[in-house]
Amino acid sequence: MSGVTTIDPSSARHSGIPPRDGTVARLRRRRERLFYRLCALPALSITLLVAAIPLALLIVQSLRDQETGAWTPSYYVRSLGNRFFTHTLLTTIAMAFGVTAISIMAAFPLAYLMARKSRLRTVLMPVVTVPRMLPFVVVGYAMILLLAPITGVLNRVLVQLGLLQHPLFILFGWPGQALAFTYSAIVVAAGILTGVLISVDPQLEDAAISLGASRLRSFFVVTLPLSTPGIIAASALIFTTVVTAYAIPVMLSGRVPYMISVVIATDLLTLQETHLAFAQAVLVSLLAVGVTAGAQLLLSRYGRR
Amino acid sequence: MTDMTVRMAVPAIGSRVRISGPRLLSAGLWTVYLLVIGAWLLFPILLVVVASLQGKLEVSWPLSHLNLDAYRAIPSGYWQSFWFTIRVSIVASCCSLLISLPAAWAMVRGRLWERRLISSLVLLPEIVPQLILGIALLTIFIPLGLSNSFGGVVLALIALNLAMGLRFGEALLEGLPEEYELAAESLGASKLAALRLIVLPLIAPGLAIAALFVFMQNLIAFVLLFFIAGPSATPISIRLFTDIVDRGVVPEAVAMSAMLVYVALIFYAIVALALGPKYMAGALMSRKG
Repeated sequence: MSGVTTIDPSSARHSGIPPRDGTVARLRRRRERLFYRLCALPALSITLLVAAIPLALLIVQSLRDQETGAWTPSYYVRSLGNRFFTHTLLTTIAMAFGVTAISIMAAFPLAYLMARKSRLRTVLMPVVTVPRMLPFVVVGYAMILLLAPITGVLNRVLVQLGLLQHPLFILFGWPGQALAFTYSAIVVAAGILTGVLISVDPQLEDAAISLGASRLRSFFVVTLPLSTPGIIAASALIFTTVVTAYAIPVMLSGRVPYMISVVIATDLLTLQETHLAFAQAVLVSLLAVGVTAGAQLLLSRYGRR
Repeated sequence: MTDMTVRMAVPAIGSRVRISGPRLLSAGLWTVYLLVIGAWLLFPILLVVVASLQGKLEVSWPLSHLNLDAYRAIPSGYWQSFWFTIRVSIVASCCSLLISLPAAWAMVRGRLWERRLISSLVLLPEIVPQLILGIALLTIFIPLGLSNSFGGVVLALIALNLAMGLRFGEALLEGLPEEYELAAESLGASKLAALRLIVLPLIAPGLAIAALFVFMQNLIAFVLLFFIAGPSATPISIRLFTDIVDRGVVPEAVAMSAMLVYVALIFYAIVALALGPKYMAGALMSRKG
């Protein structure tokens, strides 16, 4: 309150009343607070109406029977008891985990180079930024042109070179989907990790080397620990994106869906089991939000150390 | 002149001295790695562009018969979706910035006790997966008659953009000392006048960048809009997607994909010219498909 009263005299001078033990200041402060709340009100109300309330309704409906409207946890029990659902959920998690690990490892050296060599950064920046501005659908088309069984460039080249007897049928199955996800994920990881590695002072590495560490050792002892926050953030983002991706799993789908989003969409749109789909959607978002929250927790722990 | 020749000569001598076996090996490994990852990132996009120019579904070598047939054959429905996406993105970006900037200002300057509550609520659409938000919106948009409509798509995008706008806005305002506004107020300006005359001009460059990123996020939004889009409101990414599911890969769709590649290239050029490429790294923090 003391900070506010020091600002106050100007307003008191305007109205011509001497400040009386802070009542004017208190009034003014209240008016100010009201003003700021009004500023935040439109954003708040739109988020409430278009995000918070629909999500709450989704959760409520997932707990009610589709015909009778009675409260029941049966949709959750059915989902988790269904071997097909749990199996698909596990393959989805495995896919997301694998894509995250591979893309972080593949992107880290790239990000390191871009953070340390500014001329190289100017050249490489469009390479890692432009793919990020493309819808997943375009990535899907690119993968089809590259990997399609008969017409794909890769298969034709490999067959013509005699390295393959028959074209590889990897596109419409989990390998094709994994490659498409990895393509997008490398770009995301490279962007985030470059930002983090730029903020790691190169003099720290030099100091380690001047104290007798090899370049590799200074990387593992100095650079890697300092860039861990970026790795955590990028991993959480990639993991949740892959878990809930829908375009690529459908475009490059085989006979068996590997990804949980396809199962949910089928329940919702084709089978008309809407409340079951809601329950499954809630389960998947619990997973995604849990991973994000876990990453935040790790980050704050890390920041405190 | 002599100064410059000396400066140029020094690194040359230095590099000649430094070349040794292990160093050469590591330089070679780095080069191979860069070539592989560069090819992996560029080649697929290049394929889309080349295939669209050849008008076929397979790329043939050597590059011959380059033509614009596939572009001419793009059906009017694609163009409708393309312009629909652009219109929706512009409207949603403008609205969300107009709404999120005052909110960010209130968060940073207001000293409200409920600040954390409000800002984490506004950030909710970024934390919850778009797939689930899309399904949730479908369930309330159908009774309201908002699904399959311009307004519904715009509303959904605004909810998503507010989160990004708030993050950008808070970061911009945190970097601006409050004293400027207080000085204006002590000279008799109202709070709104201080915002208009002092704050806005100072953060305008950052705000322009934020607007571009929000716009791009809207152009590529897919999962959020998939469930609420319909025949009379189809963004281009969803039109291309449903087409591949219904009819398989067609040359016109590849040509339209190439158009989206050009849009991304133009966008990158604008941002890079406005900002310098070195700041691009952290700026595009969230990308969800």
